[in-house]
Amino acid sequence: MSKVFVTGVGVISAIGNTLAENHMSLQQGRCGLSTSGNLPTRYAGILPFGEVGIDDGTLREKLRVQDPGVTRTSLLALHALKEAIRDAGMIPSQLGAGDTALVSANTVGGMCLMDELYRDVNRDANGSVFLSSYDPASINIYLQSYYGIKGIVNTIDTACSSAANAIMYGARLIRNGLAKRVLAGGADSLSKFTINGFNALHILSPEICTPFDRDRKGLTLGEGAAFLVLEREEDIRDKKVYAEVSGFANSTDAFHPSSLSAEGEGPYLAMKGALASAGLKEDKIDFINAHGTGTENNDEVESRAMIRLFGEPPPFLSTKANIGHTLGASGAIEAVYTLLSLVHQEVYAGLHCKHPIPGTGLLPIQAYRRLPLHHAMSNSFGFGGNCTSLIFSKAR
Amino acid sequence: MLHIHQTTCISPQRTFPHPDLEELHESVNSRLSVIEPDYTGIPQNALRRMARSTRIGVGAAFPLLRRPEAGSSYSSVTSPPSIDGIIIGTANAGMEESIQFMKQIIDHEEGMLAPGVFVQSTPNTIAAQISLLSRNRGYNTTHVHRGLAFENALLDAAMLVRENPRHNYLLGGVDEIGAFNYNIDYLDGWYKKEALSSKRLYEDNSAGSIAGEGAALFLVNDRPENALARVRALATLHSKDPAAVRDQLRHFIDTRLQAGEKIDLFLSGENGDNRLLPFFLSCEDILDRDIPIARFKHMCGEYPTASAFAVWLACHLLQSQSIPPHIIKRMPGSTDPGNRGDKNTVACRNILIYNSHKGAQHSFIWITGTHALTTRPDR
Repeated sequence: MSKVFVTGVGVISAIGNTLAENHMSLQQGRCGLSTSGNLPTRYAGILPFGEVGIDDGTLREKLRVQDPGVTRTSLLALHALKEAIRDAGMIPSQLGAGDTALVSANTVGGMCLMDELYRDVNRDANGSVFLSSYDPASINIYLQSYYGIKGIVNTIDTACSSAANAIMYGARLIRNGLAKRVLAGGADSLSKFTINGFNALHILSPEICTPFDRDRKGLTLGEGAAFLVLEREEDIRDKKVYAEVSGFANSTDAFHPSSLSAEGEGPYLAMKGALASAGLKEDKIDFINAHGTGTENNDEVESRAMIRLFGEPPPFLSTKANIGHTLGASGAIEAVYTLLSLVHQEVYAGLHCKHPIPGTGLLPIQAYRRLPLHHAMSNSFGFGGNCTSLIFSKAR
Repeated sequence: MLHIHQTTCISPQRTFPHPDLEELHESVNSRLSVIEPDYTGIPQNALRRMARSTRIGVGAAFPLLRRPEAGSSYSSVTSPPSIDGIIIGTANAGMEESIQFMKQIIDHEEGMLAPGVFVQSTPNTIAAQISLLSRNRGYNTTHVHRGLAFENALLDAAMLVRENPRHNYLLGGVDEIGAFNYNIDYLDGWYKKEALSSKRLYEDNSAGSIAGEGAALFLVNDRPENALARVRALATLHSKDPAAVRDQLRHFIDTRLQAGEKIDLFLSGENGDNRLLPFFLSCEDILDRDIPIARFKHMCGEYPTASAFAVWLACHLLQSQSIPPHIIKRMPGSTDPGNRGDKNTVACRNILIYNSHKGAQHSFIWITGTHALTTRPDR
């Protein structure tokens, strides 16, 4: 079975439009969450959000997209995918080859256009230009036709663990000989729909989220996209390599539709399964990019699951403190941040956490520092109990 | 790729729990809606909270899960093995709940809302509910790639049985006709403007099809012993060009079939939409003249995971050893060409399914039976 390596990445988030900008923001401990946004919701200016700092018109212009039916989620996805393709030095003949696959994830699809969708479902005639842009698949179908992808194309939606599962599916396509290279990632944009949904669940923080803090009050929603180019070891030759996708596992908590069990069985099994898949012992993991949403339930359960598995967990943080919870994009954006740590042998500050959760005593990394890293883990857990952990290992 | 050991299907036809396809149920108001079972054995409080697509998905999955409750309508099903993972393909699960939640948002001007439908609005609800009911902590995922959602679930399952020998997986394709997703696709021109009975689906030369829905579930693993059928190969394609689809079929037949093997039945996803007909005809064009052709969309209607119904139907045909006359489009050797099956017998072991969703997403699925099937006009 072929080993799978990451040879290119692209990312757009509230702390930067490019990989370089995101990297600099992480090093500087920048938080991209604020109440200054411009969203079409009554919570604009009241609740903090992690908005990408480019409006749709500018994105369209920059990407030279004419089709009026293309949504913000697709634009963000295209922006990140373009960067990843360029970064990996992929050429058009590779993109159009039958053994290049595209696997990505999102949760709201085109429902960033909630008001347009609501008008369309209640109309008898004269639908809007967005009729085929609302479902989660619409983003990848757009990207497929944009690049003329001929290999396997898939969209995964396991709520907040979607993109981690897309990366896992992509790596498995390569390991099973079904693709030679895979564009794997995720995208989601802020929507009145999700804002009100999480607010109804009383898990939206009134202030900027504080993952793993004793006094955390919930999550802050963000938006963005990220893509990874995955390639087989035998095709890489002298290419630049970020890391090996060395392990992954998907497990279910099977406890409750929207919260995790107290003992964190799903998260525990996902992390444990990823170690087994990578053939690594617990003490080999040097760093964890935690799911760390900032909700009372997640952070405590994830902490307990980490303690149960690792005893004393390795240095960890949640970059949701920087960019918010980007839902269907989070698994991909956070994978990119994990790769940055591995490549640059550094860890970033886990922002906004002052006091450990009583009973766990765990504090995320408090300040930027250099750190030798060989193996790093990235966690993503979603509604429905869908838990996925990925392990990336430093290349040679 | 994988072996199918048990199947269930809740569809607009009599398919659950015991299939009887002789009598054809027709569409009402241009919709082929599923015949819902009584769901005996599934906890009532759980059932009440489920969205419709979740209900039919869970209802079809239940007999395939371990230990059906004694006395339930499922108790005739032999106790299946434990499940190591759940893989669901669905394009629009959660859509109805999403729209209901939007209605609340708009009606209450983003005030305090009840979160119930929001939690159910994610498409992974079906797989999650199956895991909850069966306390299954294994692999669990949901593929949502519109007309190829089930195909990607199938591919995922095929990889899983290869990666994990002797493990059992629950694979399914589930979609519902919701008032809202019906309206979106209606506005977009995918359903007939005039009411049409599904019995006349292939006769009407106009755009659009009839809306359908269903849940088809499969217990799969890597073991040939006692299997119902085997999925031999899968190919998928995004294209709006019938010639490209035809070339893919030719390539599929050339590369996947071994010497001496032939397709015994072509199961076509023709759906009465005259804009899509060129895809189906150009595929039929390159088939050997003696290959019988059957159709299935008059039974299940058009929906993104209708190919799951087709796989279920293929398994059923291979098991029951009979082909209902209403599905036959072409039965070579018949005195009247184009006649629906006055032929006596044809040995049938290999079924090739071709489906197209909206003329943009296409799939070929090749299924082989464990026994030769004899087609006959059984009436």
